[in-house]
Amino acid sequence: MRITHIVKEMARNLYRNFGTALGSLLSLTLLFLLFDLFWVAAGTSQTFYLSFISDLQMDVFVTEETSDTALVALEDSVRQTPGVSDITYVSKQQARLELSGQVGTDLLVGYDSLNPLPRSFILTFQPEYLNLNEIRRIEARLGALNGVSEVNYSRRWLEKVEKTRAIILQVGLGLGVIILLAALLSSANNIRLMARARAVGFRQMLLLGAGRFFIAAPFILEGFFMAATAAALGWVIIYYGQQQVTFSQFEIVVPLRDHIIAFCLACGVIGMFSGYLGIRSELKA
Amino acid sequence: MKTPVVELTNVGLRSDRGETVFQNLNLSIAAGRSAVVTGPAGSGKTTLAELLIGLRFADSGSVEVFGELIKPRRRRAIRRIRRRIGGVGGPFGLLPLLTVAENITLPLVIGAVRKGTQREKLRKALTEFSLLKQAGHYPPKLTRVENTMAQMARASVASQPLMIIDEPLAGLDTRTYRRVMEYLTRVALSGRSMVILTSDIPPREFPETDYYEIVNGTLA
Repeated sequence: MRITHIVKEMARNLYRNFGTALGSLLSLTLLFLLFDLFWVAAGTSQTFYLSFISDLQMDVFVTEETSDTALVALEDSVRQTPGVSDITYVSKQQARLELSGQVGTDLLVGYDSLNPLPRSFILTFQPEYLNLNEIRRIEARLGALNGVSEVNYSRRWLEKVEKTRAIILQVGLGLGVIILLAALLSSANNIRLMARARAVGFRQMLLLGAGRFFIAAPFILEGFFMAATAAALGWVIIYYGQQQVTFSQFEIVVPLRDHIIAFCLACGVIGMFSGYLGIRSELKA
Repeated sequence: MKTPVVELTNVGLRSDRGETVFQNLNLSIAAGRSAVVTGPAGSGKTTLAELLIGLRFADSGSVEVFGELIKPRRRRAIRRIRRRIGGVGGPFGLLPLLTVAENITLPLVIGAVRKGTQREKLRKALTEFSLLKQAGHYPPKLTRVENTMAQMARASVASQPLMIIDEPLAGLDTRTYRRVMEYLTRVALSGRSMVILTSDIPPREFPETDYYEIVNGTLA
């Protein structure tokens, strides 16, 4: 019975204050859309990053003095290093072929017995080890092995990418908090406006013995409805945009449907809280 | 012995400007009995109603309604008390954004009464107070008499054990006056208690009723 009353009151609020409600819905939609865009950008850049980093290789160069017997033992040690998924041995001859392939001519013609190119192992890594900290750990471990002269990989590039990601994450989190706070306050202020117009009614309801929750519930429900709807609208816009825009170099990554539903519900909860904030000051009679 | 419905003991109250409104005011209304309190405008009748519903609090003495002390920070107790009081006039009014029918059934909605019972009681109240035509109207469109009738109807549907009626007879035409008097008499006979606050000289015809007058902030 009370639920019918609460839903009816919420609908009546929205109908009577249609302009305010619509304005609130649109501003919330814009705010959540901004949040969604950051989310999509983060997801897309993460996928982009993972596709790049999955190609990361590490060259482990072997010292000249290492004998063939020791090389087998070294290969075993390298293979057993945690995080290494695949290992390819590159002999002096293969290195020479590769070099000539890259340069376009064999620079060592006539110096067959003096090939200075070192033997090496080319390593690839398991996905969970594809980050700067783990790669550094592997580098240190391999560098300490007997018979290893040098460990090489695109260290600077990886450091830059990691740093950029950290900055994006921090800025994204900061902006996310600001956006959600703005949504909370914007919704609370709109609900406060609607509630203020009904202050006389609230006083009468309190005199009839209505509980604060009974009076506040339609506004709390309204907060939930507005915020959840605005969040859902934001995702509808994102989906529409995703269908209209395609990039040849990368794919726009939209979060999973379950995550979106959870996000809309979370926005609804923020809306409920904003509804409570909006009505709270009007219930002091 | 039954707990009195209303028990005011040595109540003292000053206005915001520091003027004495009540001093050593005593009032006891036993269950099933009523009180008519008269006094000129500004004598404190509405303030007395406000004390009984917890809108104001006594500076000294005690105010008990249904055996519960009315004090600040006793919100739950005050809410319980308010649910057992039907109010007309003074601090009570209709909710401007609800129709007459919705206003009348509001105490039942608050009390989570079944929809069918609500409809039945509403129909009865609308008929009794001649408000069938105004059921869908909003309070700002009602005449003063219709407004008073709607408040009476609201106070009647939930059959609360105490009714507080502030100036029930003011501005009523003869016919409505007679009907209101009949209704109040029925309430007095029904075993419910009433506190009638009025500046009119009331006819001494209510059964089970005591009469008081506010004189210099106390009841005589």
